[in-house]
Amino acid sequence: MDKTLNYSYYPGCSLHASAGEYDLSTRELFNVLGIGLTEIPDWFCCGATPAHNVDELLSLSLCAKNMELADKVEGDMAVACAACFSRLKTAQHVLGENDVKRKQVEKAIDAPLKIDGKVKHLLDIIARDLGLERLATAVNKPLTGLKVACYYGCLLTRPTDVPNLDCTEAPTIMERVIETVGAETVDWTHRLECCGANFTLSRPGVVIQLTNAILESAKAAGADCIMVACPLCHGNLDIRQKEIEGVYNADYNMPVFYLTQLVGISVGLDAEKLGLDAMIVNPMPLLKEKGLL
Amino acid sequence: MKKKKMVISQETMDVDFVRKVEALADTSVRRCFQCGKCSAGCPMATFMEHPPNRVVRLLQLGQWRRVLEGRSIWYCASCETCSTRCPNKVQLASIMDALRKLSWDAEGPSKESYVQLANKLFLQNIRTYGRQYEMRLAAVFNVKSGQFLKDLMLGPKLIAKGKLKMFHSKNKNLSEIEKIFSRIEEMRKKGEAL
Repeated sequence: MDKTLNYSYYPGCSLHASAGEYDLSTRELFNVLGIGLTEIPDWFCCGATPAHNVDELLSLSLCAKNMELADKVEGDMAVACAACFSRLKTAQHVLGENDVKRKQVEKAIDAPLKIDGKVKHLLDIIARDLGLERLATAVNKPLTGLKVACYYGCLLTRPTDVPNLDCTEAPTIMERVIETVGAETVDWTHRLECCGANFTLSRPGVVIQLTNAILESAKAAGADCIMVACPLCHGNLDIRQKEIEGVYNADYNMPVFYLTQLVGISVGLDAEKLGLDAMIVNPMPLLKEKGLL
Repeated sequence: MKKKKMVISQETMDVDFVRKVEALADTSVRRCFQCGKCSAGCPMATFMEHPPNRVVRLLQLGQWRRVLEGRSIWYCASCETCSTRCPNKVQLASIMDALRKLSWDAEGPSKESYVQLANKLFLQNIRTYGRQYEMRLAAVFNVKSGQFLKDLMLGPKLIAKGKLKMFHSKNKNLSEIEKIFSRIEEMRKKGEAL
């Protein structure tokens, strides 16, 4: 086990509730891969979209506070949720460039900023820190014959110069990870389109329209399933899928996996440890058909 | 409904407000040359009465009231596509944040109440509990927006799948979050922050 692969883990609110299977599968997968995760004690909500929507100073302060808490735990910060990742990286970016905002945030959290630690999304840790070669050696059940549509959504790569995870308009990091564990990927049009995100609460009609286009595109490209790295994207694609099928008179039946669940299957973790039973669109028939269960 | 005719004159152009937006967003609306790339890529433009490029044009002309009166700013999903693709590096997503903040602080005048209600409840939850609890958020939203039956069919399914937690714990360091909120309020009272 590589001693350098230890991280302070920031799950974010969704992973403790509606995205419990993302949290579970992340812990199980990282354990198998020999990557240490220590959850940051008493982390706070990052403020998500509502905070930066109406109160940037609050959003920056919440992120700075979380980075201060993370600083007490060994290792770079590992973030699972694409939205939390985006907020934390944005805070680093803005506070690094704007002295006025920096001073305001220091006053708000009543402490000097400790925001220089690295903030990494799980994808970054798997693809770069662990490395695809080492990931390949952990695979004992390659996902042969499984056609995956990798869905990035908005915040993993945008805007330019902020997340710095991969190319903003033509990223390949998800495809590279999932091809490493034996799956096929499809070329499709809606990899980076918005799912409607938190409008799921206030204006679900928006989500139904945008998410339908994503499901339609994945289906047309011949995908068996969609892979995501964000609990909001997952909620909209998975939880609302039945409703969308009803509205558009469509039949998608498209399981939506978290990246850690699919990679988890390839390293031999069983369904229970990956929380596959929590998925609303049942993935079992597909996995049985492909001989993966 | 017939639209009010727009008159551009010294009386109707309020550029001070626009300067405030630029300061908050740390970007310039003047750099925009109306290529329309932001609106072409905007997933939400279809729901807005003023697509993103027109929001910027109205700001350039000092016609911010027209923007705030509508629902456009509240229908922005913060997907950052516009900021990413702008050839002039206008940070439009940040401008949307600044407009929402100024509109929010002034408690008006947009009619888009659902998005604002969701934001308000979300922020109240952070202040009270330190984290977001989706079950509480959704339940209170439905009650306060008068949509008692919204997503009613989803609830039991989500609870059965363990996706909605009926109970939750509180952070041990909750007092620190309250301090952050109240320090920011204090700074604003003293005029030290917008």
